Amino acid sequence: MQTSQNNTIQIESIDQPDRKHRSPLQLSVHRFLKNKLALVGIIVLFVIILGAIFAPYLTDHDPRKSNLMLVEQGPSSDNILGTDASGRDNFARLLYGARVSLTVGFSAMLFTLSIGLVLGALAGYYGGKIDNFIMRLTDLVLALPFLVLALTIIALLGKVTIGIFVTVIAITSWPTLTRIVRGSFLSLREQEFVLGARAIGASDFRIIFRHFIPNAIGPIIVNATLMMATMIIIESALSFIGFGIPQPTPTWGNMISEAQSIRILRYHPEAWIPPGVGILVTVLAINFIGDGLRDAFDPKSDRR
Amino acid sequence: MYQYIIRRILVFIPMLLALSIIVFGLAKAAPGDPLSGKIVDPNIDLAVYEQQREALGLNKSIPVQYFNWASSVARGDFGESIAYKGRSVQSLITERIVNTLYLGLVALGITLVVAIPIGIYSARNPYSPLDYGATTFGFFGLATPNFFFGLVAIYLLSINLGWFPAQGTTSSTGLSGFAEFKDRIHHMVLPGLTLGLAGTATYMRYMRSEVLDVLGSDYIRTAKAKGMSDRNVLYKHTLRNAMIPIITLMGFEFGALLSGAIITEQVFNFPGLGTLFLSSITNHDYPVIMAIALLLGVAILIGNLLADIFYSIVDPRIRYD
Amino acid sequence: MFKRYKPSIVLLALLLILGLVLSACAKDKVEGVKKDDPATEGKKDGEKKAANDGPTDGGTITGAMYSAPAGMFNPIFYDDSYEANILDFTHEGLFTQNDKLEFVANLAKDWKLNDDQTELTLHLEEGVKWHDGAEFTAKDVVFTYKSIADPDYVAAGGVRSNYVEPLLGFEAYNKGKTKDFEGVVADGDYTVIFKFEEPSVTPLYTASFTIIPEHIFKDIAIKDIPSTPESLEGGKVIGTGPFKFTDMIEREQYVLERNVDYWKGAPHLDKIVWKVIAQSVMTGLLEKGELDFVASPGGIHPADFDMVNEYKNIEIIEQPDFGYQILGFKHNHRTTADVEAGVIEPANWVPNKKLSNPVVRQAIAYAVNREGLVGEGHGKGLLHGHGQPINSPVATQFWAYDDKAAINYTYDPDKAGEMLDEAGYVDKNADGFREDPDGNEWILNMDYPTGNELREKSAPIIQEQLEEVGIKVNLRQPKEMSAYVPGLTDDNTDWDLYLIGWTLGSTDPDPSGLWAAKAGYNFSRWNNPKSGELLQKAVKAPEAFEQNFRADVYGEWQHLFSEDLPALLLYAQNSIWAYNDRIEGIIALPHTMYQDSHTWWVNDAK
Repeated sequence: MQTSQNNTIQIESIDQPDRKHRSPLQLSVHRFLKNKLALVGIIVLFVIILGAIFAPYLTDHDPRKSNLMLVEQGPSSDNILGTDASGRDNFARLLYGARVSLTVGFSAMLFTLSIGLVLGALAGYYGGKIDNFIMRLTDLVLALPFLVLALTIIALLGKVTIGIFVTVIAITSWPTLTRIVRGSFLSLREQEFVLGARAIGASDFRIIFRHFIPNAIGPIIVNATLMMATMIIIESALSFIGFGIPQPTPTWGNMISEAQSIRILRYHPEAWIPPGVGILVTVLAINFIGDGLRDAFDPKSDRR
Repeated sequence: MYQYIIRRILVFIPMLLALSIIVFGLAKAAPGDPLSGKIVDPNIDLAVYEQQREALGLNKSIPVQYFNWASSVARGDFGESIAYKGRSVQSLITERIVNTLYLGLVALGITLVVAIPIGIYSARNPYSPLDYGATTFGFFGLATPNFFFGLVAIYLLSINLGWFPAQGTTSSTGLSGFAEFKDRIHHMVLPGLTLGLAGTATYMRYMRSEVLDVLGSDYIRTAKAKGMSDRNVLYKHTLRNAMIPIITLMGFEFGALLSGAIITEQVFNFPGLGTLFLSSITNHDYPVIMAIALLLGVAILIGNLLADIFYSIVDPRIRYD
Repeated sequence: MFKRYKPSIVLLALLLILGLVLSACAKDKVEGVKKDDPATEGKKDGEKKAANDGPTDGGTITGAMYSAPAGMFNPIFYDDSYEANILDFTHEGLFTQNDKLEFVANLAKDWKLNDDQTELTLHLEEGVKWHDGAEFTAKDVVFTYKSIADPDYVAAGGVRSNYVEPLLGFEAYNKGKTKDFEGVVADGDYTVIFKFEEPSVTPLYTASFTIIPEHIFKDIAIKDIPSTPESLEGGKVIGTGPFKFTDMIEREQYVLERNVDYWKGAPHLDKIVWKVIAQSVMTGLLEKGELDFVASPGGIHPADFDMVNEYKNIEIIEQPDFGYQILGFKHNHRTTADVEAGVIEPANWVPNKKLSNPVVRQAIAYAVNREGLVGEGHGKGLLHGHGQPINSPVATQFWAYDDKAAINYTYDPDKAGEMLDEAGYVDKNADGFREDPDGNEWILNMDYPTGNELREKSAPIIQEQLEEVGIKVNLRQPKEMSAYVPGLTDDNTDWDLYLIGWTLGSTDPDPSGLWAAKAGYNFSRWNNPKSGELLQKAVKAPEAFEQNFRADVYGEWQHLFSEDLPALLLYAQNSIWAYNDRIEGIIALPHTMYQDSHTWWVNDAK
């Protein structure tokens, strides 16, 4: 699983001379909008989100409702992707499954982001013992194989709801973001404008929110976006091996896990390929957006 | 330098201790124990299991159990598995880790053999058709969940085309020598590809951007200006420098590779450490859970340390003290 | 990072790859349709090669199991059914069972019971050799039973104490008070006497345990037996069976080779190779002939039945299994004090008011569509028709099974509704769900374990069906078995409905291990004095020596069970076994097809 690969590219803060009399943020937005792949990503993601939100209008079927007279059926006009082993409509499960994937991805990202921001800010801003302690903590969590920790916690709880699931992912994957935030903050600490703000007696809180966060926002947003993609993959992988959100809640991962039977794998590709492609396309779209954001926030990355 | 390494290794000890306490606490706090899942055969008196719990010390308090476990580990004894009766944890793990290491090596091999040449080619011929192809592949490689890739691979290459076996590590006990080697490699192709997919995409992107970086740097331009041939520039300077981050990445990704194997092994029903770990979790076989968690923890720590050491050797600008 | 690429080209490439994948899928679907051609049914028998040529020696067959044996190949310590797959070929007991599940001679040539059934005298087959050439004698039998009765046996991981508990002097020997075990004694090399503490209704069952070789294990302390190579490693495991366990690649392959000295005659097959193969790829290998047989545990998935049935080379055996799935009703809960003390004392139990009215339980029984769960034919029901709803907790194969005695709750939601109305459970606040007669909220908690795919799938369906008649069900998250069982056994909680499955022994139909009030497995905490009386009466000497007497009593008990409903029996799944028709001589018994494997042969042996 690509848990942490490549999503932690560090970007220096933006302090470019303002050539066209535009703010750095405006510049970034401008650059982002010129990136066609990123725009395509946004459109695709938007379509998927719409599909998830308006699922009840796109299908008459209840994704949890089974029909024992129609089990493991192929596509028909009523069940356009057939039915699963409990006679539930696959198309409805695909649409509602998007809700779970997106909810898990987004809320796990937000949760991780907030842990990362708070701890990273504490470590980077105050330094010293606090920094040391938090960094040792990140070392510890990073030394833990992510899956081992997540699986053990899930086994411990014995039940998995979306909330629990998100929490598990968040408390096992916050260190990367924490380190990024800390890194940006450390480099900002000695900048003149920060020293200046301090000299005129600005509170820590104010300095962090007015000066640090706006200046470190680029890498944070980029990494958070890419992290969301990773979270979606993690959710589906855990559901696939049976440690995710259980039936009858539809998720893309537990839809694909039905393909562990060759009967489904071979004769009902319509049941497992769409959720797989769903994950792929969603993650692809988010990655496009993330790459677009990176280029937008860091013009220097052009050379790559 | 040596001091630095020794200090780093000393830090391992409290970290592993903390790790073991966390995992042990989690595994123990869960309802149920290694015996409770077996209670489904109505012919067996429940009192039997109560006696066995007593004998295994499962009725003692968690700190006491942890202490017992930790002191025997300190003596180098990881105890006996409870789900696999009569088997020591060491023997279970040695038996499985060989398979997982093979799988990891094959995956890494595929990754490097594919990623490095393509990465270099892409960097030297940016915006060529192959470069576009590689980029597309890179996007897909990072966006495809590897279990889905594994299923598609089984579907296309094993079921429909029949090229590769979909599971296991060998087809017969009767093989030996080169035939056995060939057979094992044959079995390893699909899981290896699956496990290596994400890595391949990552390394390719890294390689491309590193080579591009180096090619654009001043000293390469100087070398070229002095009349050095393209070949020489590539091999003497560019690759040497571009490989540094790749090797570092390998160190950091070692642990990710091992834990990625948990999912891949599940897809291919592969008898490795990952499937052992999953079944141990389901059975609450905590001696095995603990040993694997520690093993992966050590692997990650050593991977990171090696990466750091390597970095400081090849790049004298970095100093640790 | 990829900014300078023309996005259109990348997108085009993306689409291209996607298209390739999808078109590959589409292609396979066409093939899939072709496969459905139903012209193969008749060919099976015609194609079978002339069986009257008589058996030929040689050949190797390959069997599949879905999960690897844990690795304990010692009959007194093994406990999973995958290990049994190996041991069934390598080891033997004094008795086996025939197609009527009666005990018949195996290593015991003949036997005699005294009149009050307290003493069983057996004469053993002579000239039986262990795989290493040593002779099988009465000493081995004594040693086996002594080992199981040993004070250290249970602590070492053994679970078969029920075979020695009824024997004379077990208590004294097991507590270490004496070095001599009176229960099983040898008289010379070929006579063994089993002595019982009390008159035994099932003496042959007690004497049927698989025998292990004394000469291998006699010098090893009981607690070390599980970790000796002789219990674990292919090539070192010694039995008397038709095949020797010679080699293994752990978790992948287990090789059995013919035992030429087998006392019933040398087996025809050279080798039987067990492979561990995921159920997902098994059917394909069966079709290609790379796999010769698949049987218990697991067998063919009911949804795969039609597909496998169309393979020209495959024979299928379908018959009822010894297990069933239940929807249990928690009649009572134990008190916290009792749970902590580990006491099962019906007098202390606290009735579960939510389910204490029998009419409510009966209404629930009518509300669950058991026929629907089983289904009929492919694509209908979870079992695709391969099973049946059952009404009695006695396996259908037994002489004691009496389905006429039990009430059959056919699916009738209207009737369920009426019954609940009459019992006072009506929807008073118009929220769509019924309240209890006092007008209080009435929510039944329902729990279920993972591990059995079909059972897992049935839980949300049962919830749906109960809610259709207005019973509010709080379906809780499934738990894996090892986390589920503590909740089930330590029932000081808020459990009402639960799912569990039982695999019954094929040896005796006595249901008291599961349903007697004090039985640990009586998870419903069903306490019906009448039931206790009947269960005791059915095994009381000397009347119970007569099978017909027992059958009558069990009939009465089965009626009581279906009336009082400690649990609704959902369904019994059929076992579906399959084998390649090149194998001849397989005999399907109700409980196994692995018996007498020395007579198996392949019709294409070179």
